[in-house]
Order: sequence, then structure tokens, then C-alpha cells
Amino acid sequence: MEKKTLITRSMVVLILISIAMVVSPAVNSLPNGIGYEQVKSGGCNCHNGVADTGVVVALDGLPEQYNVSETYELTISFTGGPSTDGAANLGGFNLWASGGEITPVDATVQSRDSSEVTHTEAGNDYRSWTVEWTAPSHGRNVDFVLHVNSVNGDGVQGPEDKWNRLSITVAGSLGAALDPADPFTVLATLIIISGILLVITILYGFYRTNPDAFDWEHLAPWITEWLTSTDHKKIGTLYFVQGMFFLGIGGILAMMIRLQLAGPEMGFISQDQYNQFFTLHGTTMIFLAAMPLIAGFANWIVPLQIGAPDLAMPRLNALSFWLQPFAALLIFTGVFSGEGADTGWTGYAPYIVTAGAHTGVTMWVAGQIMLVASSTLTGINFLTTMAVMRAEGMGWMQMPLFTWSILVANLMLFLSIPAFGVGLIQVYLDRTISTAFYDISAGGDPLLWSHLFWYFGHPEVYVVIVPAFGVISEVLATSARRSIFGYRSMVYALAGIGILSFIVYGHHMLTSGMSPTLRFVTMMTTMLVAVPTGIKIFNWLKTMHGGSLVYRTHTLWALGFIVTFTLGGISGMFFPSIAMDTHLHETYFVVAHFHYVLVGGTVFGFFAAIYYWYPKMTGRMLDEKLGTLHFLTAFVTYNGIFWPMHRLGVVGMPRRTHTYFITTEDFTNLPEWAADWNLFISVSAFLFFFSNFILVANMLLSLVRGDKAPADPWGGWSFEWMTSSPPPTPSFDWHNLPVLKDANEHIANEPGRVGKWFSRLMVPEDHEEVSH
Amino acid sequence: MGLITPLYDDLWNEYLVWSALVGLFTFGWLYHHSFFYRSEDGQNPNVDDLKVGVFPAHYDNMKLEITWTVVPFILIVYLTFISWAPLDNIWSAANEEDGFFGDECVVGESSNLIFNQSEGLYEADCYHEIGISGKQWVWSFDCYDLDADICDTGFAQIEGRDSPLISLKAGEAYLAIMTSEDVTHAPWFVSLGIKEDTQPGQVTTQWVLADEVEDFLLLCTEYCGDDHAYMIAGVNVHA
Repeated sequence: MEKKTLITRSMVVLILISIAMVVSPAVNSLPNGIGYEQVKSGGCNCHNGVADTGVVVALDGLPEQYNVSETYELTISFTGGPSTDGAANLGGFNLWASGGEITPVDATVQSRDSSEVTHTEAGNDYRSWTVEWTAPSHGRNVDFVLHVNSVNGDGVQGPEDKWNRLSITVAGSLGAALDPADPFTVLATLIIISGILLVITILYGFYRTNPDAFDWEHLAPWITEWLTSTDHKKIGTLYFVQGMFFLGIGGILAMMIRLQLAGPEMGFISQDQYNQFFTLHGTTMIFLAAMPLIAGFANWIVPLQIGAPDLAMPRLNALSFWLQPFAALLIFTGVFSGEGADTGWTGYAPYIVTAGAHTGVTMWVAGQIMLVASSTLTGINFLTTMAVMRAEGMGWMQMPLFTWSILVANLMLFLSIPAFGVGLIQVYLDRTISTAFYDISAGGDPLLWSHLFWYFGHPEVYVVIVPAFGVISEVLATSARRSIFGYRSMVYALAGIGILSFIVYGHHMLTSGMSPTLRFVTMMTTMLVAVPTGIKIFNWLKTMHGGSLVYRTHTLWALGFIVTFTLGGISGMFFPSIAMDTHLHETYFVVAHFHYVLVGGTVFGFFAAIYYWYPKMTGRMLDEKLGTLHFLTAFVTYNGIFWPMHRLGVVGMPRRTHTYFITTEDFTNLPEWAADWNLFISVSAFLFFFSNFILVANMLLSLVRGDKAPADPWGGWSFEWMTSSPPPTPSFDWHNLPVLKDANEHIANEPGRVGKWFSRLMVPEDHEEVSH
Repeated sequence: MGLITPLYDDLWNEYLVWSALVGLFTFGWLYHHSFFYRSEDGQNPNVDDLKVGVFPAHYDNMKLEITWTVVPFILIVYLTFISWAPLDNIWSAANEEDGFFGDECVVGESSNLIFNQSEGLYEADCYHEIGISGKQWVWSFDCYDLDADICDTGFAQIEGRDSPLISLKAGEAYLAIMTSEDVTHAPWFVSLGIKEDTQPGQVTTQWVLADEVEDFLLLCTEYCGDDHAYMIAGVNVHA
């Protein structure tokens, strides 16, 4: 290796390490326990608002530096204040310590909790009290705050009653307590570290392409190529990398949420931050993780499956992608200024336009407007490509099911997202130039946004799940070595879901106060969604019948998908039943349901897609052992997170709240075990989060030393398996495009009646233009 | 096992039974096929002779496909049907002939709210109107001119905070007339299994059917800003 290359290389590594080191000190500790920041600073308001220096407070018995876990006897006393002849100089106190345990030694003192004691009714007549303090075991400095009252004892509050405060710090052998970390700093740091890891990974990827040319002269054109490429495979990879990156960021946000909810009334994240975190978690996962992952696979696989050399409009495709990272930047801008969007991903009006909503909301809305543009362009591009660029012999009813699912998803998106765009622009104008679309006092309608949002929002969740249906259809059929059962009913079921998606959205608003007639109708239509979804599930199961199921990692994920998605589908049936919905709406039951569908459905589906198509994309096989390990750990921990949430929702845990309330003597709410299950969920969440690094590691390791992949490693039938792994660019030779044969010769190239009608709407399929 | 209210529990139990049946059927099938039809050598036989570039031979069965379109459809029609009466019950119209809760009570009249076991629905002779208004981040209750025994408002210490409290009488039916002063909120009477949004500039209503003696929390379930999680109130249903 040349000396110069070695130097360049080590310089890059050194610079990256120093950046990481500069950043990492910001993450210096875990919070120092609950309630630390609530140092008693208010004083005793019951007697007089201002502390009086005439009252001299003493706290004796404390050492200069304490020994860990040793018990000290402390004496609290005071002098000064009012003294009335004939009456004792009465008083009271309150002592709080930031660490260790304070215990009363006699009846004059009572304990509030282990960190706080006060006088009893009997102890009201004293000027000094004795307590015991057991030093903590952590060895950090401990703060004491002592308040005393000195009153004249007439039982009436008056200006002559005085109080004062004493604050003492006792040194521990390990010095000052660590400051609690600001969750924002933790988040921002983790985002930056993830970014650095991403850059390192990309650089490593470049290094592997040609280890002998690791210098700027080669790197610059390599990066330029990626930044300016219009090749569907490169853009697909960019989408994929973006999706995986934000899946990680969304995961980090979820972990911070779960830290906060690990116990009731935790103080790790402030309410204000919590509200931003769940907003960003939702937005990130839907728009910046799931959608790009789908777009990534669609970009990669759809042209290959229909035998097209590229998408119909490659430059438009590049534009669609490049809108995404900038939109992401806008969406996250608020976090770095501490004023991120705090509206929930649904951004309900009128809150979203009030002064109370954070300034970051404007940026968040602007970012999403860009995503609307990106999705619309993608929709045009894919629909056009599928309409005009299918290989010879491939009618509509011979398209592979993954391509069909992308067609249906893009149709739904294309028809629904304009409503969202309109709503976003209204909100944007309301927030920036004070229009009054959602200003209630000026006659704005609070429900308009909900209608616009959910008219888009419900098709959107199907847009995210339908491509996963496509993946499972491909994976399961190939793994079972069978044709998919009921290809045509699969297509009609997809189309049925697509159509139904537009008439069910009102179920998100069953308790909103919108017209009862509409609410009633959507209850019935919503129930219907189960029919096409059921057809798909039963068709998948029947596909396995008589087959010869080959167990690969993608097969495991596909079978796991059927389990979790079915469970998510079943729990979905509870919501349209109104008398249950009025209880379950906006609870953890909903959170459980949609995570079963979106994680157990979409994410598991796309995990299957990764294991299935990775060899095609990279030319390297993934490690099956690591894959199985990933499946087992992720599947178990995933269920550990979301299954208990059903129960929590039913017993009364609302979503989008910073805390939850355990039943007390006075008021019923959650049973005590709810706190234990929340802790269990949080632990499972961390395990699930980390288990997915097995996938990342597998992808990276296999890229380097995986076995070379053949063109058709799993024995699939569609065109992508015809190309080499990885495919050339352009993916198919323009002058030698593939031709699809059909094993069902008697109906080959004859689309059904619906297909013919549909074809007529599109550009003519073959070259037989109408003759003049 | 009593979960929320008898009305909710009846539906819940029925749905749970059907969920279990559907689950057992699907997972039993999945379990059987995943083991019974697994490949012996990890590769073959290629049952339907899949070949690259050839659209595979159709594998379908019209009767089966129609069966699993029609049977789930019937189940869904049934589930919708059993959801219908409870829906009517909780969204019953006020002051109408076919309403479940009669007209507004005159002074001194009692609702005599009962859960009709045979119908599985709530019924009452008359109802009382109460007002609920949401405001960032506190609930305010209004008993209008009702006797303090029927409805009373006050404050209670909940989780160390002074929170609004509403006292209702068990066995009475209430119609909550609700609105909001600023943004959308939604009072969730957790132990009664009901919630409905309060919207600024609009009036929404919901039936508050105080059937059992209990003290429970009312939570806000429509995200409303900074202090949303602590927008709570106490509900005291007394004998």
C-alpha cells in the first residue's frame, strides 16, 4: 500500500474520531433520580412570603464528608423569631435531602418519604428535633434543604410569624453529583453520532469498492455519481439508506419515550420534550422511514419486475428522492433549537395554529409539504412506468404482485395526498401570514383539518402496509415453490383495499363530534376492510398447501408477518364497534393495534424484503445464521413490547401522555401491575431496538465477505431474477427487452374484462396504433 | 370478569370469543402448513414448476375463494349487527320517543338508571344536564341548577395537584353538554368507558351514565399541548 494512501486514510479516520470525541462529552450521565430538580425552593408560604434572617437555623451532626451507608444523628434547631410571654416559642420544620434516607427517631417527627421529614402535631411545640440520616451508597455530594417556622403560637397566621431556610451540601467521597442529562442533548448527540456512523459506513463502502484508490481524487467523482445519478437502482439504494437511517432515529426517539414511561411519573423527559418526541417519532417513522423504505424497494424492484430498463422519468425520480433529505432537515430543525413540533403526527387543529404550539411546527409543516411534493411525483412516475413500460407479454394481470401492490399504493397516495397538501398549506399560511382557516374566533372549522388529514391519513396507512402485502406474496410463493394461490383474487383484494381506504377514514373521528350519520356509515364501511384483508391472509395460507416450504430467513419473516399482522387485524375489529371505541379510542389499545400492523406488518414485511432481495441488490448472500438470530430476537422482543399494551389500554392508559396514574386510595385509575408491565415493555423495547443491529451488522458483514449471489438464488419467476446480481445499468438492454411467457397459454396475454377496461384508460399496450 | 361497564363488557366478551376462534383457525392452519409442507432437502420439489421469465400456472379454486370472501363477510355483518344496539344506546337522542333516557328530569325527579340485563342496554326515566368545558389545561364542570345531591363541583388533590372534581349520584343519567374554550380536548370517564371531543366553537354531547359508586379519574385524551398529561379531574359517583 502506498504511504500517501495510508496517510490520507488515517487522516480521515482521525478526523472522524475527533468529531465523535468533541460531540460525545455532551452525553455525560443518566439523570440523578426522580424529583432532583424539585429542590424545595418555595419556602413556607403559609406564614409569610419572605424568609426572615432573624430566625437562625442550625443543622448539627453532619460530617464534613460522609462515609457511605453510615447513619448519622442530626439535630435540627433554631433561635430567633417571635416570642410571646407565657407561650412557648413554637415552631415546625421540613428537612429534605437529595440522597440517603432520613428517619424519625421519636414521635415529634414524621416521615413524608425516605428523603423528607417534617414535624408531627405533637412536635409542633419544639425548638429542636432529632432525626437519623443514613448516608447514600453512591458517594456523591448530598444537598440538604431545611425550612423552619418560628411562630407566636396563637394559632392565627400573622405577619409576626417567621420562617427561614438553610441549605447545606455534604461532601461525598466522589464529589459533586452528576448533572442530569438534558434529553435534547442526548437526542441531538445520538442523531449526530448516527450521522457520523452513516458517513463512516458510506466511506467504508467506497473503500471496499477499490481499496487501492481511497483518496479524494477518486472519492469526489464517486460521491458526485451518487448525488447526481438517475439510475433507479442507485436512487433505490439512496431511499433505502435514508429509510434505515431514520428507522434508527425514530427508534432512538421511541427509546427515550419508553425511558420516560418505564415507571409512573418519571422525570427523565420534561412534558414539553415528551410531546415533541412522540410527534417526531410518528412523523419520522411514517414519512421518513417507512415511506422511503417502500420507495427504495419500489425503485429497485418494480422496473426489474416489469422488464423495464429504468423508470419512465428518471430525472423526476431523482428529484423525488432529493426532496426527502431536505424535508427531513426541516422537520428536525425544531429539535436543534429546542422548539420542535409538539402536535402529534396528526397535528390536530386548532392547536396546531395556536400560539401555544412550538415555533418548530412551521418548519415541520414546511418539511411535510416537500414530502407531499415528493410523493406526488413518485406516484406519477410509477403509475406511468407501469402503464407504458411493461415487457412484452406482460398484461396487467401478469404483473408480479409486488408491482401490483406498488401500483395500488401509488394510486391511493396519488388520490389522497393532495388533501393533506391543502391542509398543510392552510396551516402554513395560518401560522405565517395569519390567514384564518383554523382560527375559530374568525369562523374557522376545527374539524376541517381532521377531515383533510384523515382523508389522506387512512389511505396513507394502507399505502404503507399494501407494499408489504406484495412482498409477502412474492416471498411466500417462492419459498413454498408454488404459484401464489388465487393470483386474481389477490389483485382484486388489493384493489378492494385501495377503494375501501377512501370511505373508512371517519373511524378516526368516531368521537370527534362530526355528523353522527357519517360516523355511523364509517363504522359499517370500516368493518368491511376485514373482507379483502381476510382473502389475502387465507390465500397466503392456501399457497403453502401442497407446497415444499424452504426455510430461509425471509420465509421466517413472512410467516412471522402473518402472525403479527393477523393479530393486528383482529384488534382492529374492536374499534368500529362504537360502544367499545368510546372507551378504546386514544388509548394504548390503539397504540398496540397500529404497531402490530405497522411494525408487525410493514416493518416485518420489509425485513422479509431485505433478506429476499439483498442478494439481488448487492450480489452477496446474507448470513442465514445471523438472519435467524435476528428473527428470533426481534420477533420475541417485539411481541414483548406491544402485546401488553392491549391490556394497558383497556384498563385506562391513554396515549400521548407524559405519565400515567396508578390507582390511589382516593381515585381509581390504572392497577398497580400496570407499572410493572410498563417497565417490562421498556426493557423489551430496548432489546428490540438493539436486536435490529444484528440486521445492520449482517448487511455490512455480508457486503464484505458474503458468498457471491447467483442470478436466481431462491428460484423466483419474475424478471428481476433474470438479471445478474447485481443487475447491470441500464437494467435491461433497450434493444433486447425481455418477453414474458405464460404457463397458462390458453389465457396468455388476454386480460380479463376489468383488465381490458382498465387498459383502455391507459396508453395502448403494444405498438399497434390506430391506423388512419 | 367486569372490565368497564356491562354494556362494554358484553361486546368485549363476544368480540373476544370471535377473535379467539379466528385466531385459532388461522394460526392452527399456519402452524400445520409450516411444518407439514416444509421442504425435505431445503430446495425441491419445485411444485408449480416456477421458471424465470414465465408467469406461473394459475393455482386457484373459485369455490374456496368465494367461501373465504363470504364467510368473513357474514361474520362481519353479525359483528356489526351486535354493535348496533349498544351504539344506539350510547348515542341515544335526547327528548325523543325512541330515546333510552327520556326527557330532562324535573326538579326532584330521579333517573332510575338501570342496566336492562335482558336487552343488554341502559335505560332511564329522565336525565339531568351537566356542562363540561375544556380549557388548556383544566376541566370545568357546571351543574347548572341541579341539587347538590345530584351534581356538585369542587376540587380534590390528585397527584399533588389541585384538580377539579365533579360529584354525581349513582343511578342517575346525565347528558353532558360540552365545549372547549381554546383547542380540542376529550374528557375520558375511564370507568364509564366513554369519551367525546370538546371542540371550540361547537357543542358536543355525551351520556354520562353513573351506574356504580366509585371514585375515578377523568383524563384528557385529545392531545392539547404542554400540560395535556396532567389535565385530569376527579369523578366521584356517590350513593
